[in-house]
Amino acid sequence: MAETEARGPWREAWSVFKRNYAALVGLGILALVLTTAIAGPWIYPVDPFDIVGAPKTPPGTDADAVLGTDYLGRDMLAGLVRGGRPTLMVGFFAAMIATVIGITMGALGGYYGGKVDALLGRITEFFQVLPALLFAMVLVMLFTPSLVTVTFAIGFVAWTSMARLTRAEFLRIKQLEYVRAARAIGSSNGRIIWGVILPNALPPIIVAATLATGTAILFEAGLSFLGLSDPNMMSWGMMIGSNRNYLREMWWAVTFPGVCIFLTVLAISLVGDGLNDAFNPRLRTR
Amino acid sequence: MRIALFIARRIAYAIGLLLAVAILNFTLIHLAPGDVVETIVGEMGGASAETIASLRKTYGLDKGFLEQLFIYVSRVATGDLGVSTYFNRPVLGLVADRMFATVLLVFSALASAVVLGTFLGVTAARRPSSWLGAFVTIVALFGFSAPVFWSGLLLLLLFASVWPILPASGMYDIASGATGFAYVLDVAHHLVLPAGTLAIIYLALYSRLARASMIEVLGSDYVRTARAKGLSENKVVFKHALRNAILPVVTIAGLQFSGMLAGAVLVETVFTWPGMGLLAFEAILRRDTQLILGILLLSALLVIVGNLLTDLAYRLIDPRIRTDG
Amino acid sequence: MMQTIVKSIVFAATLAIAAPATAQKAGGTLIWGTTQVARHFNPAVQSGYATAMVGAQVFASPLRFDDKWNPQPYLAESWSFQDDGKSLLLKLVPNATFHDGKPVTSEDVAFSIMAIKANHPFSSMLAAVERVDTPSPTVAIIRMSQPHPAIFLALSPALCPIMPKHIFGDGADLKTHARNTTPIGSGPYKLAEFKPGEHIILEKNPAFFIKDRPKFDRIIVRIFRDSNALAVAIERKEIQFTPFWADLALLDRLSKTPGIATTDKGGDAIGPLNWLAFNTKKKPLDDARVRQAISFAIDREFITKKLHNGRSRIATGPIAPGAPFYSGAVEHYKVDLEKANRLLDQAGLKKGAGGVRASLSVDYLPGSNEQQKNVAEYLKPQLKKIGIEVTVRNAPDFPTWAKRVGAHDFDMTMDAVFNWGDPVIGVHRTYLSSNIRPGIIWSNTQSYSNPKVDDLLAKAAVERDPAKRKAEYQEFQKIVVGDAPIAYINVLPYFTIYEKNLRSLPTTIWGAMAPIDEMYRE
Repeated sequence: MAETEARGPWREAWSVFKRNYAALVGLGILALVLTTAIAGPWIYPVDPFDIVGAPKTPPGTDADAVLGTDYLGRDMLAGLVRGGRPTLMVGFFAAMIATVIGITMGALGGYYGGKVDALLGRITEFFQVLPALLFAMVLVMLFTPSLVTVTFAIGFVAWTSMARLTRAEFLRIKQLEYVRAARAIGSSNGRIIWGVILPNALPPIIVAATLATGTAILFEAGLSFLGLSDPNMMSWGMMIGSNRNYLREMWWAVTFPGVCIFLTVLAISLVGDGLNDAFNPRLRTR
Repeated sequence: MRIALFIARRIAYAIGLLLAVAILNFTLIHLAPGDVVETIVGEMGGASAETIASLRKTYGLDKGFLEQLFIYVSRVATGDLGVSTYFNRPVLGLVADRMFATVLLVFSALASAVVLGTFLGVTAARRPSSWLGAFVTIVALFGFSAPVFWSGLLLLLLFASVWPILPASGMYDIASGATGFAYVLDVAHHLVLPAGTLAIIYLALYSRLARASMIEVLGSDYVRTARAKGLSENKVVFKHALRNAILPVVTIAGLQFSGMLAGAVLVETVFTWPGMGLLAFEAILRRDTQLILGILLLSALLVIVGNLLTDLAYRLIDPRIRTDG
Repeated sequence: MMQTIVKSIVFAATLAIAAPATAQKAGGTLIWGTTQVARHFNPAVQSGYATAMVGAQVFASPLRFDDKWNPQPYLAESWSFQDDGKSLLLKLVPNATFHDGKPVTSEDVAFSIMAIKANHPFSSMLAAVERVDTPSPTVAIIRMSQPHPAIFLALSPALCPIMPKHIFGDGADLKTHARNTTPIGSGPYKLAEFKPGEHIILEKNPAFFIKDRPKFDRIIVRIFRDSNALAVAIERKEIQFTPFWADLALLDRLSKTPGIATTDKGGDAIGPLNWLAFNTKKKPLDDARVRQAISFAIDREFITKKLHNGRSRIATGPIAPGAPFYSGAVEHYKVDLEKANRLLDQAGLKKGAGGVRASLSVDYLPGSNEQQKNVAEYLKPQLKKIGIEVTVRNAPDFPTWAKRVGAHDFDMTMDAVFNWGDPVIGVHRTYLSSNIRPGIIWSNTQSYSNPKVDDLLAKAAVERDPAKRKAEYQEFQKIVVGDAPIAYINVLPYFTIYEKNLRSLPTTIWGAMAPIDEMYRE
C-alpha cells in the first residue's frame, strides 16, 4: 500500500526536477566531476606525486604541466584530476555515516518517544554542543590522519541535524492513518519503523543527505587545509593546505583546487535544492 | 517566575552536559600516543629517561587513567582548568583573553550578515524576478559552496597583496601603540577581512532564509488582511511581515553557533586573528593537553550559552511560545 | 691552545682600556621579531635558540666566542688549564653583579655548572666534570675526571648561564623552576616583561660589567604566529632585527625590500643538520648497501637549489661544514640512479610487480615544511625511480613523531639535529652504541653500532692535541658517512634579517644566541 502511494510522488518529483535548469546544471557538473574522479587516471595518466618540472612553474609556460606545478614541481593538473576521488569519497562516506547514525537516532527517538526519546535527545544535544571542527581535529590528530579517520571524524560530528530532521518526520508520520493501520494489523515495531515510516520520511532525508555530502566535502577540505590529511593521497583540500604558504608567489596552486571544491559543492547544492523543490509540494507552485 | 525556573533548569542541565563533555574529551586525549612531556623534552633538546620520568610525575601523568580522570574532573568542577604547558599560563585566563577576539569576529560577521542578509532577502522576496533576486541566489550559492579558508585566501591575495589596502593579519598594530578611539579604529581596520570572509557564509544562509520565510509570510492570511485594511505596503512589510519572517533567522542563528565556531577556526588561521580557533590550532599542534581540553570545554559552554540566548530571544520575539518544549 | 689564551687575555686588557666612546651612538629601542616561543628563558635546562637567544641577554656565561671559534673573556677574564688538562681555572671579573645588585661570585659559577650538569639534556656536555672548587670569590676551578676539550664550548652563553645561587639554589627542581620565566642574571639586559605568545621586553642593565655596553636601552621581542605574519611586519618596518629566519620562500621577497638586508653569517657553532635517518635494525635497511643506494638516489642539488631557492648548503657528514673538525674527505653521494639500482641489485632487492623492490615509510618532524615535510614528500617520487615505494607518514604534532622515533617504530625519518659547538656535545649522541636508548629522541635512534666508531669517539673526547683530535674526527666522519646510518641532506639555513642602519651584528659562532651588547643603530 505504501509502495503504490510512494511511486507516484517519485515520478512526479522527477518531472519537476527535470524542469529545474539550475538543478540540471548541477547534475551536469556533478556527472563531469564523478567521471573525472573515476576515469581520470586513464584519461590523464600522470602520477600526481611525480616531479615533472621546476617547482612553482606558472600555468601556461610548460607544455608538460599546462596548469603549472606546485612547490615541489608536481603537475597541478594531475593533482586536480586525481584529487577529486579522495575528496568525493570522504564526502560521500562521511555523509553516509552521518545519515545512518542520524536516521537511527532520530527514528528510534521519534517512534518510541518517552524515555528513549529523552535519552537519545540528550545524546544528540551532547554532540550538538561539541564544537564540530575542533572535535574532528582532535579525533583526526589522535588516530593519525588518513582517509578513514577523516571520514569517521566528520561522520561522527555531522549527524545531529539529520537526527533532528528524522525525528521530526517520524513524529509527524507516525500519527498518520496508514501507520495506525499497520499497527492495527499487528506489524512489528521494526517493520513499521523501517518498512512503513522510513520510506515516507525519505524525501527530506535524501535532500539533507545530499546537502550533507557538500558540507562533508567542505569539512574535509578544512581539515586538509589545517594539515590534517593523508599525505599519500592527493586531495584538493591537501593541495590548498600545502600550497598555502606560497600563496603570494603561486596564486594558481591555491586557486585551482579551490575552484574544483567550489564547483563540486555548488553542483551538490544545486542538485539538493532541485530535489527539495521537487519533493516539497508547497514550494512547487512557485 | 516561569522564565527564572526555565533558566535555572537549563543551567543545571548545562552543567551536566559540560561534565560529560569534559569526561569524553579527557578520555579521547588520553588514548592518543605520546603526551605533553614529549613536547617539553623535544623543546629541551632531548632528555634522559630519569628526566622524562620526573617530568611525567610533575604533570601527574604517572598515575592511572581513572585517577587522572577523577583529578581532572574534580578540578574542572571547581573551575580550575589547569595550566597550559606551552604558554605557561592558566588555561582559563588564556582562553578568556582569546575569547574576546573570537566573539568580536563572530558577532561582527553575524551582525553584518543578518542585517544585510535580511535586507537582501526581504527585498528579493518583494520583487522576486529582479536582478536583486538573482544576486541573492548567487551570493547564497557562493557562500554555501566555497570553502571559507579558500575565499579567505583569495580575499587576502586581493586586498592585502594585489591591492594592499587592508592589513593581512593580526588584530591590531602593536608598534603604533594606539589607544582609545585610534585603537578601536585600528582593530576595526584589521577586522574587515576576517569578518568579511566569515560573513559570506552567514550571508548566504540568512538572505536565503529571509527570502523564503518572507515569501511565505507575504502570502499568509494576516498580511492579506493588513493589506486589505489599506495599510501602506512598507508598513505591511516592516511592521507585520518582517517580525514573523525574522523568527527562523534567529533560530538558525542560534543553532548555527557550533558551525560558526568551525568557520571561525579556519578564518582565524588564515588571518592569524588571535582568537580561540587559532589558539586551539596551536594547542593541538603542540599537544598542549590542558589547553585543548579547556578550549573544547569552553567552546561547548559558548555553544550552550548561545543556544540559551537563542531560546530567550525566540520567546521575546514570539509571544506565542510560553511553555518550554 | 695556550697561545689563544694569552691572546685572549691581551685582548681583554685592550678592551678595558679602549672603551669605544667615539662615533657609536647608544640608546634607542630595538624591535626584534621571532616566530619561536620559549616556554622559559633558562638555557641551563633547555637547549634551542628560542630559549638561548633571550637567555644569552639575561645571563652572562664564563666565556664567549668570536667568529673564528676562539674563546673570549666574558665573566671569566682569564683561564688556564692545570693538572694535565683535568682542571680548568677561571679567574672571574671582579665587578659583575646580578640584576638584583648582588655580586657574581665563584659560588654562583660552581652552583650553575653543577646544576647544568644535573639538568641539561646534553648529558655528555659536562659529563667529565666532578666538582667546582671555589678557593676565592673570584676564582673557580672546574675539576674533571679526564681531560675534556669540549669544556670550552660548554661554557658558552647558549649553554652555560651563570645563575644567581641565592635565587635558583632554593632546592626547587630547576627544570620547572618558577623563576625560569622571570630570570635574573648578570647579562647585558634585564627581563622586564614576558607576555607568552605576544612579546618579551628587555631593559638595559645599567650595571653591566662591560663598560658602555649594551648599546640599546630596550629590546622588544615581538612573537609572531607564523613567518608570513612576521614577513609582513618586516616589510612594514615594524621589525628591525630578525635572527634565525628559516622560511626561504619568503626570504627572496624580503631581501628585495628596500632598507632591509639579509645575511647568513654567524651561528656556525649551531651546526644544524637536516638529514634522513634510517632504522638500521629494520629489513632491508639493515643492509648498508640499501642505505647507500637511497643516499645515491637523493638529488641534493635539486633540494638545495630548487626546493630551497639556492639558499641552503649541502651537508656531507655528521659535522657541519665550517666547524673546526669538519672533513670533506668523505663519500659525497652525488646523485647516481644507476649506481643506486646496482647497489640494490647487489643487496638482493629484486624488482617485483610494477617495478617495486621494497616499500618503506618516511616520517618527518612536524613544524618545518621546507626542510622536513617537503623533502619527505620529494623522496616519494624520487625513490620510486629506484623501485622503492615510499609512504609519507604524517605526524600532526611533535609527540606523535617523537613517540614513533623514540620507540624505533619507523623505517626512515627526516630529522634536524644540531652540532652545538663541540662534537662531544651534539654529535657523539647520534652514533655511540652506548647511546641506543629506546624512548629517548635524539639519542642513537638509528640503532647504529660500530665498535671502531665508538673507539674513535671515546679517544677524541679526551684528546688535548687539536691536530690529533681532528684526525680522529676525520676518520670518524669517513666511516660514518660510508656506513650511512644517515643520509645527510643539507645544513639548515638560518638568516638574519635586519634594517640596514644596524651595525655590529651578532656574527660570532653563536649568532644571536650570544649577548647582543655591541650592536647599535647608526
